Amino acid sequence: MKDRKNILIKFAYFLDSSQRYQNIKRFFYNLLENDDYPYKKYFDFFMIFVILSSVTLLVMDVKHHVPQWLDDFDLYFVTTVFIIEYLLRMWVYSDVHRIVIEEYEEALFFDRELSLGKLLWKIVKNKWEYMSTPSAIIDLLAIFPSYRGFRLLRVFVLFRAFKMLRYAKSLTSFLEVLKNKKFELITLLTLSAFFIFIAGIMLYVFEGNNINPNIHNLFDAFYWALITISTVGYGDISPITPEGRIVTMLIILTGIGLISFVTSIIVSSFSERLNILREDRIVNTLSKKENITVICGFGLLGRLVAKELAKEGVDFVVIEKDEDMAEMAYGMGYRAICADATRESIFEKLKIESNISHVLCLTSDDIQNTFIAVNVKSLNPNVYVTARCSDEEIAQKMYFAKVDQVVMPEEIAGMMASVYVGEPVAFEVLLSIIEQKEKIQIEEFEVLPGSNADGKTIGEIGFEDLRIILLGVLRTKEDGEAEFIFNPADDFVLQSGDNLVFIGYTTAISNFKRTMQ
Amino acid sequence: MNIEGNIFIFGYGSFGKHLYKHLSKLENKIKVVVDKQEDEDTSSCKTEVIRINIKQNEDILSLGIDPNKDIVYCAMNKTANNLFLVLTLKTLYNNVNIIAISNSYENARKLKYAGATNVIDLYEATSRRFVNILIKPAVTKAVDEIIYKENDLKMAEIVLPEDSSVDKKMLSEFDFKAHGIILIAIIDKEQGNDLRFVDHRVDHKLDAGDTLVVVAKEDDFERFKKYLEGKENG
Repeated sequence: MKDRKNILIKFAYFLDSSQRYQNIKRFFYNLLENDDYPYKKYFDFFMIFVILSSVTLLVMDVKHHVPQWLDDFDLYFVTTVFIIEYLLRMWVYSDVHRIVIEEYEEALFFDRELSLGKLLWKIVKNKWEYMSTPSAIIDLLAIFPSYRGFRLLRVFVLFRAFKMLRYAKSLTSFLEVLKNKKFELITLLTLSAFFIFIAGIMLYVFEGNNINPNIHNLFDAFYWALITISTVGYGDISPITPEGRIVTMLIILTGIGLISFVTSIIVSSFSERLNILREDRIVNTLSKKENITVICGFGLLGRLVAKELAKEGVDFVVIEKDEDMAEMAYGMGYRAICADATRESIFEKLKIESNISHVLCLTSDDIQNTFIAVNVKSLNPNVYVTARCSDEEIAQKMYFAKVDQVVMPEEIAGMMASVYVGEPVAFEVLLSIIEQKEKIQIEEFEVLPGSNADGKTIGEIGFEDLRIILLGVLRTKEDGEAEFIFNPADDFVLQSGDNLVFIGYTTAISNFKRTMQ
Repeated sequence: MNIEGNIFIFGYGSFGKHLYKHLSKLENKIKVVVDKQEDEDTSSCKTEVIRINIKQNEDILSLGIDPNKDIVYCAMNKTANNLFLVLTLKTLYNNVNIIAISNSYENARKLKYAGATNVIDLYEATSRRFVNILIKPAVTKAVDEIIYKENDLKMAEIVLPEDSSVDKKMLSEFDFKAHGIILIAIIDKEQGNDLRFVDHRVDHKLDAGDTLVVVAKEDDFERFKKYLEGKENG
């Protein structure tokens, strides 16, 4: 006995320390339960295929003869898959060896003998927790229908269809919605059960006594009450006495009320949950992408920036505190989430540690922007944060909080407006370059190794013939600092990694980029 | 920056303050006008602040704006006030130069319609900058150096004087690069008053009165100006 205990404990410790065991278990956990795991999708498709094929076979079997090999497929393959799946789910639900170790260490601590019975009880209790969840029950019941001998078990084919719930997200979210209105729905259900009960009994009393040939027993009366109250009204059983008809009229009226009530509850709970459902979907699609830009605030500036980013094809998401504004962003076709960007939760959901590359703080409130910037930087200092600010003193504080860039709209506009004095033409040029409204654009082009520009001098490229005005070259020096070399001479040799900055009309720019590749 | 007349800045809110700062070299020509009803902090303003009721025509007339020389900035915080001011100024002085600030593309159109010579959209340039920081870092750096930073690199315009040293020359014959100058745009008087970016598709003959917009280092620019006037040999 003692030996067996020792072996058990040793084995538990062995599993606990074995990296390989952990990896295998994690793999199956990911495959079965982790929505973010890329291969889970394929497993899900496979399971849906297996379920559908099995359901199809069972339905076909009702009227037609199913070939033996398909029958075998259903009996052996499908059932085996379901059994394996069930056992795997039970396995990954919890770590048995951890329970053994915990029990053992507790026993050691209190200096008492480890009781095998108590241990076993704990393990069974733990796994029972899993087995008693609704989805586990469905899984278990879905295993049975393949036994041809037992016809009644065929009903359990339904559970195979239920099994699909696990693999279809939208269905689970529907159930989620209903779950939220559990109280209201149960109340209504009880109420209608009560009406059916009363109406059924009344009809039975009035017409059950061989007066109505269709009503043989109380079950018929209840059946009639349900068909009537639900406004389905088959008409296979209908009242014939005036008393019976009065009961009918009454429960039809209640029926209409009840049905519209149920409908309105479901609809309202859907519209309540709509934002959350939508948010989930956005978070889900974004979790598969990298280099996401987050726009915080959808005011005048946020709207303009979103428009520009959409035009440039950048992946971005708008976070806006105000519900109406978030709704507006969504209406404009952007990914928008109504959330507070000064909190950590929304950024955690969007996976700030791996998926977010830029955060733009664009609310009209400087303090709010600082708050958001600090929040983001404290969660992941590598995210590039650009903040809007109107006050120079606050801008300094932002830089102190390691905000990468502070942009001041009033400063930019003020600078531009001041150029107008004495130099109205330069002002006009400035305006079209900065706002980029006309076909003239300021662009950059990176010299890639082995491209047409690599190793050439400025003179050799012949910018004039390409209809391009070269402003300068941005070159990264050895210390990693980028230096802007203005108007480089004709014998300046370009190297890979250089960024050319130039002005030109859009057609000339695309032509230039093509030639230089 | 040279100007004959005065510069009127209406409003001393967040935008007005920045504008004042950028124009501070011309301090003695600036007149800051603030609406009596707006309680704006003007403590950082070194010139005298004139407080008037902007809705009264007499008050505006009392400022003595000279429509032929002066430049008026409508820089109040509320776009509605700016719009009203533009309309008032236009009815009082038909040809005055007005630069108005706007917070949206929509309001920019209204201000233009009301008669503002030029409208600066507060957010348009800013949003462009936010986007450029993201997708065009080299452009951002270049624009920083040329436009935003206070260094010797700048964008400026030159009106060709009579009998300049480039008079009657073709654009293609003249080597701007040798002077450290990048020519970006030109107004060729012979071809009307349109501003054209110089992409060498069309050659231009340089005459007196043509305006050149260039990017250059400060001292190269000054030298070039002297060269044009014929005071220094290229």
